[in-house]
Amino acid sequence: MADQSTEFLAPRSTGWRMSMSGFAKSGLLGNFKARIALAIFVPILTLTAFAPLLPIQAPLETNLFAMMKPPSIEHIFGTDKMGRDIVSRTLSGIKVSLFVGFSVALIALAFGIVLGTLAGFFGGMLDRIIMTVVDIFLAFPSLLLAIGLVAVMGTGLVPVIMAISLADVPRFIRLQRSMVLSLRSRAFIDAARTVKASQYWLMTRHIVPDTVAPMLVAGSITAANAILIEASLSFLGLGIMPPAPSLGNIIRDGQAYLEQAWWISTLPGRVILMIAVGLHFLSDGVRELLDPRSRS
Amino acid sequence: MTYQTAVEAALLDVRDLRTEFRTKSGTVTAVDGVSFVIEAGERIAVVGESGSGKSAMAMSLLRLLAYPGQVVGGEILLNGRDLGRMTEKQLTSIRGREVGTVFQDPMSSLDPVMRVSGQMIAPIMRNLGLSRAQARAEAVKWLDKVGIPDAERRIEAFPFEMSDGMRQRVMIAMALSCKPRLVIADEPTTALDVTIQAQIVELLKDLTSEAGAAMLFITHDLGLVARFAHRVAVMYAGRIVEFGPVGEIFRAPRHPYIQSLLATIPGVGNHGQDRLPQIPGTPPDMRHPPKGCAFKERCLGAHARCHDEAPTLSLRDTAHSAACWLPAGLEKQMLAATVPTPKAMPLAKASRERQRTVIEINNLHKHFVSSPVFAPSRRTVVRAVNGIKLRVRKGDTLGIVGESGCGKSTVARLLLGLDAPTEGEIFIEGLVQMVFQDPASSFNPKMKVSALIEEPLAVKALGNKVERLARVTELLTQVGLDDTCLDRYPHQLSGGQRQRVDIARALALNPSVVVADEPTSALDVSVRAQIINLLSDLKAELGISFVFIAHDLLTVRYISDHIAVMYLGEIVEYGPADEVFDRPAHPYTRALSDAVPIPDPAVEKLRTNAPLRGELPSPLDLPKGCPFSSRCPMVTARCREEKPMLHEYRKIRQVACHYAD
Repeated sequence: MADQSTEFLAPRSTGWRMSMSGFAKSGLLGNFKARIALAIFVPILTLTAFAPLLPIQAPLETNLFAMMKPPSIEHIFGTDKMGRDIVSRTLSGIKVSLFVGFSVALIALAFGIVLGTLAGFFGGMLDRIIMTVVDIFLAFPSLLLAIGLVAVMGTGLVPVIMAISLADVPRFIRLQRSMVLSLRSRAFIDAARTVKASQYWLMTRHIVPDTVAPMLVAGSITAANAILIEASLSFLGLGIMPPAPSLGNIIRDGQAYLEQAWWISTLPGRVILMIAVGLHFLSDGVRELLDPRSRS
Repeated sequence: MTYQTAVEAALLDVRDLRTEFRTKSGTVTAVDGVSFVIEAGERIAVVGESGSGKSAMAMSLLRLLAYPGQVVGGEILLNGRDLGRMTEKQLTSIRGREVGTVFQDPMSSLDPVMRVSGQMIAPIMRNLGLSRAQARAEAVKWLDKVGIPDAERRIEAFPFEMSDGMRQRVMIAMALSCKPRLVIADEPTTALDVTIQAQIVELLKDLTSEAGAAMLFITHDLGLVARFAHRVAVMYAGRIVEFGPVGEIFRAPRHPYIQSLLATIPGVGNHGQDRLPQIPGTPPDMRHPPKGCAFKERCLGAHARCHDEAPTLSLRDTAHSAACWLPAGLEKQMLAATVPTPKAMPLAKASRERQRTVIEINNLHKHFVSSPVFAPSRRTVVRAVNGIKLRVRKGDTLGIVGESGCGKSTVARLLLGLDAPTEGEIFIEGLVQMVFQDPASSFNPKMKVSALIEEPLAVKALGNKVERLARVTELLTQVGLDDTCLDRYPHQLSGGQRQRVDIARALALNPSVVVADEPTSALDVSVRAQIINLLSDLKAELGISFVFIAHDLLTVRYISDHIAVMYLGEIVEYGPADEVFDRPAHPYTRALSDAVPIPDPAVEKLRTNAPLRGELPSPLDLPKGCPFSSRCPMVTARCREEKPMLHEYRKIRQVACHYAD
């Protein structure tokens, strides 16, 4: 009687494995927000993947006869002060951005899930040590922390990824730990313990599978954040070093010419916005798909 | 003729009320044409299982339905005015002023960040037009009336500073303080312990009759109905299927549903070796309202007409009506046919085998110590289990009863090894497994039934995948399910099916002892008997010993061979189940068994309802002498000083009271 209300709250479909297999079929296409995300990413990813085959200039190729040309048929986004094609450079920059975004999300998820589970499940001294370190990291804004770390580790793709990940991992540990703490006291953990299931069994069969869905949502938001931070670092000259293109340093290149050649900065800026918006829609869509309460 | 007078005198006249929940997955018809009349000062009980529409009906009356529920038809006449046509503002003046409400869970219906005074005084000022000081005096008077000690001071308390019973008293005081003509009480005692329930029921009864208010009392507990109501409405699948005076309903029920339901309750007469009659199946899914009578699939008297045409409520006696094509419902012999025959005869075990002890608990203690980090000197110790000694023999069932907080669930956790005892020993021959109270939370919601039952086997790495699946199928058959369940998720099963799966999981490793902590309290009344029968079958078939923990004393008595009564972490009485219940030796056992409402108004009328006063003392601050001395009606100076030990009483029993003899 009293528990009937919880029946509606209990996950409607899922099972992590099932939801993944059913995902593509009914899920992503059936959800409005996920459809928007797909509408943004499918063209962007296709163009990026096939960029070398497109009839455009290579990203590093200069053309001194076509400097700072406004958008036209040959140069859809125009050219910069060295006559490089902005479309080509943007597509190449997107590749960097997405690589950074997803690497950071994966690293943060991996460390977050492992350390968060250990801290939440075992508690005690281990928890105290992990959480103290986490709290210290969380005291700094992530951009500031990333700048500091890049200053120590140097610039370039790998240090940037490491710096941003280090700034994001603590949040994931906290999130995972809080979910583990509430799962740990659920009756089904007791049920498994009555058959003397090992700690490893409890963590891998019951706890981690039940936390993956929300962690993925957090992961896709973090990917968007990481892309913005990478762009910011590159804009400040601390990230990807020119001449290699990244969305951040293309904008930096155009910043000085904003009045004469607005297209250099503006168009790549729009792309960053699109990617960030797309990832947020994706995370919203994933959350709605995995949350039984908002499903029809 | 009688109808005419009834209409004139009626306080509340509900005509053909319809309520729907328009959810995304379809329209649920929660209330499907309900009509009834409440006269001034009358107490009407509405009984039904979860999903029968009883709460939706009550909430519809004052338009308190949560989204997406809405009233789609009918009239609700309160003193001749149609509440259905009123504006929200007009209704607000009715709510509280003319109709008071008491809900199930006082913690969620009281504002947790507001003092009681803040929640009580304003409505009284508004509704009775008193000044603040007068309203405050009025509020204190009502708190005093509902039995809140030191009301003048307690009115400034926050809800979290009170116990559940106290909070429910506050709710009742709030509902009655504006002198309503009608009180709607939706399962007001379901969340409370049986002794507190008895107090609250008496209180509601006394105060409403004192104020001349009518009451609509919603419950699933037929015992309470017998104790409480003048007239009874039985709801099933959104309709009233039987309506009549309480005596008539219990003496000569006419609808097969209530007839079978009354027969399924482990009552005064049918405990012991008999099996309980059971109602097959589960209530219909109201997203797809059944054609014809909603009860036909579960009814032994169903015939062709029931499948085509739904019966409507028609008069059987002067004031007694039922909705069934059969004039008198099921015949006696048909009801007897609902008693299922046991699947297997009990194994005739050699008596020596049965004498073997499988559980031995000696001097068991579990203390929870908490010491604040910044004030280690303020260390507090809660003695959840405080020195108990128990034996359970093979094939026996031990029932443990007591109020919440008495330590019975801690004993279960200690038996299962989920917690380590502070002191004492537990010897168990073989394996202990557990059947949980609420299988909705004891299953990982992301695992299928097959994986859930297989888990114990997989943990122990018994057999390969194929062999384990064969064992899972065998277990499912044993608990009365078939293998269509294998691929389902727990939320796709009904409550009864989930509890069967939980039992199957507990049996997977062939345990010698199964601990069942409130295994039927989350289930519907009509399904409860199925599970109790299943447990007694398994006990007979497999020779498993059960430890059965519950607050439903009638069920415990029915299923147990021996009973241990716990109070504040100690056993105060132990003995054969019938002995302990029929001739309780400890005043606490007597109070417990007196507090249990018996589903028979004739019996209820003869009982003296003098509910146990007071509440469980805080386990932080135990009385010095007998732990029960603070509530005992026969307490003496000796009880306050000297703690009675559990001693032998009439050879086969034990009791901890100075004055047992």
